[in-house]
Amino acid sequence: MPGTINRRAVRWLRGQLPELVAAGVISSDNAASIERHYGTAEPRSNFGFVILATVGAALVGAGIILLIAHNWDDLSRPMRTMIAFIPLLVALLLVGFVLMQRNESRPWREAVAIFDFAAVATSISLISQTYQIQGSFGEFMRVWLLLCLPIIYLLRASVGAGFYLIGTIVWLFSREFGAFVRSPNPMFYWFLILLIVPYLLFRFFENRAGRETAALAIITTISLVFGLGFTADFAKSDLGAIAFAGLFTTIYLSGIKFFPQPNDRLHVIALLGGVGIGITAIVLSFESSWHMGREFLWGDRTLAANVAFAFELLLPIAAMGLAVFGLLRRHFQFSLSAAAFPIVTAIAWGIANLCDTGASTPTNPLSIFPHWVGTRCSFTAGALMNCYALWLGIDILARGIRSNSVARANFGLLLIAVLALSRFFDSELSFVTRGLGFIVVGAGFLVANILMFKKRRTAVPA
Amino acid sequence: MKTLRLGIFILIALAQLSVPAIMAWGRVQTLGHGRVWKFKTAPVDPEDAVRGRFVMLRFDAEDAYRQPEQLKSIDSVYAILKEGPDGFAVVDHLSSSPNPGDSALKVEPGGFWDGQQRIVFPFRYFWLTEKNAPAAETAYRENSKRGQQNAFVTVRVRNGDSALEQLYIDNQPLADYLRAQTTAKK
Repeated sequence: MPGTINRRAVRWLRGQLPELVAAGVISSDNAASIERHYGTAEPRSNFGFVILATVGAALVGAGIILLIAHNWDDLSRPMRTMIAFIPLLVALLLVGFVLMQRNESRPWREAVAIFDFAAVATSISLISQTYQIQGSFGEFMRVWLLLCLPIIYLLRASVGAGFYLIGTIVWLFSREFGAFVRSPNPMFYWFLILLIVPYLLFRFFENRAGRETAALAIITTISLVFGLGFTADFAKSDLGAIAFAGLFTTIYLSGIKFFPQPNDRLHVIALLGGVGIGITAIVLSFESSWHMGREFLWGDRTLAANVAFAFELLLPIAAMGLAVFGLLRRHFQFSLSAAAFPIVTAIAWGIANLCDTGASTPTNPLSIFPHWVGTRCSFTAGALMNCYALWLGIDILARGIRSNSVARANFGLLLIAVLALSRFFDSELSFVTRGLGFIVVGAGFLVANILMFKKRRTAVPA
Repeated sequence: MKTLRLGIFILIALAQLSVPAIMAWGRVQTLGHGRVWKFKTAPVDPEDAVRGRFVMLRFDAEDAYRQPEQLKSIDSVYAILKEGPDGFAVVDHLSSSPNPGDSALKVEPGGFWDGQQRIVFPFRYFWLTEKNAPAAETAYRENSKRGQQNAFVTVRVRNGDSALEQLYIDNQPLADYLRAQTTAKK
């Protein structure tokens, strides 16, 4: 699988070949064969140039905006309208030129795509200013993203796709400004994401091991986290915990399934999912995370809110589907503790919700969420999540030791340490107990790392 | 393949050009053929009046209108305008349809509290040019405070669409007023 070859390692190996031949370790024929073998595996990388060209295009675009907007007091409206179209016309001419003459040059495609993005924004803004057209920033973002999307496909512009994905996050936040309702409908976000999915798939199937695909997957993941956050807030169903557990587990399992790595290594997407699972588990280990808003029954539920609710359920189902699929094939690489996260969260949610609202945990009037009340079982739910986070930490630690990964083992330890730390400040333990706890966790770090390094040292001579 | 790609490119180019073009065309029609309404601006909080390159507008007619029925689950409604005794526009009533077209201003539901529903006009900003912004800020502040409400805007309304035309200070368009002020200082 040439896609999984580590380019840095290939470069190192190539550097070693003359020495190896000189030392008589391999023959010059062997060296030539090795060169030939890797010859096709290392395409000339011009990613840096692509980025520079894109930044250049963005700066030129911004400069044009400033120049035009600087001083046009004395121009009539029709004149200003004509000027507003100039950047867009130039950008479109460049797109045409790239399609006809430079279609195989990636820096050209990426740079012109970004220039076109900037030109669309400039034209819309200048026309809005000239004719005093009002409208929210959210509406502007939406129109802008939709107009720029086809250029991403036409020019196969991954940097453009990255900008688009960041744009979806900006759109999510922009809706909150100037809105008169709390948590306005964010469901259009999912439509925007759906529109970019074919491009992401195209990149994935073209080169799943490429840096470009990984970068796009990272930005998509970040965007999805924000998207789900706003959706959960909008759905008013108290299901946020399960939805996030589902999202991070889906990301983790997808990272392992769709981006397989040699030697038990983790792809950055699986890593992101794993870190997300760890952080969410720690957050949910606080008893206050299980104070339920009971907002579901508030007022009339709109169709959009119900769709958002269904969406929240879809993610844990997707995660379970991936986990079951892996388990049925009996050859799975993922951590069972991580895959079980949505189920454990769902059980904790059930425990917290099935109990009545308890008088034992009165509403705190000073809280920023005064209507969020604890149930009789909030503590039980929190305790369950504590046990789960501990299991997860130990499992990651064990897997780290087994696969000889210092980073993974330390992440497991970190999880246990943060969990311990949270409980120390959360509960009313004496200073002696807290001190002892810190010593135990610290000693755990030391022992595990010593074991790991010893194991590595013994493994090297072998 | 190349022809298909070019075809798609032409469609995208048309889409990208048509959005600003349609925006401009709609306004040109309303500004050219719409009925002129004058809206007196409401006193502003001096700290809040100018935000960079635009004046934040508030209107007497917007603040004065209240109704007991709450506007629920709608994005917009039409405010039917009438001319007050002083020649400035006031909101007569709200309607779901833009009739008559030259008196119907599309507004958004504002906040509902104390049992009263507020409305929000679709024009909240008056864009300024960079050169004018500082002087416009002072002028608008001076002429839009309690006891000295001397600013108004003209809005053209046509078929339910509205276009902000001009900001007047002391009965002169903003640019003329600023020019006069500069000349007077010299």
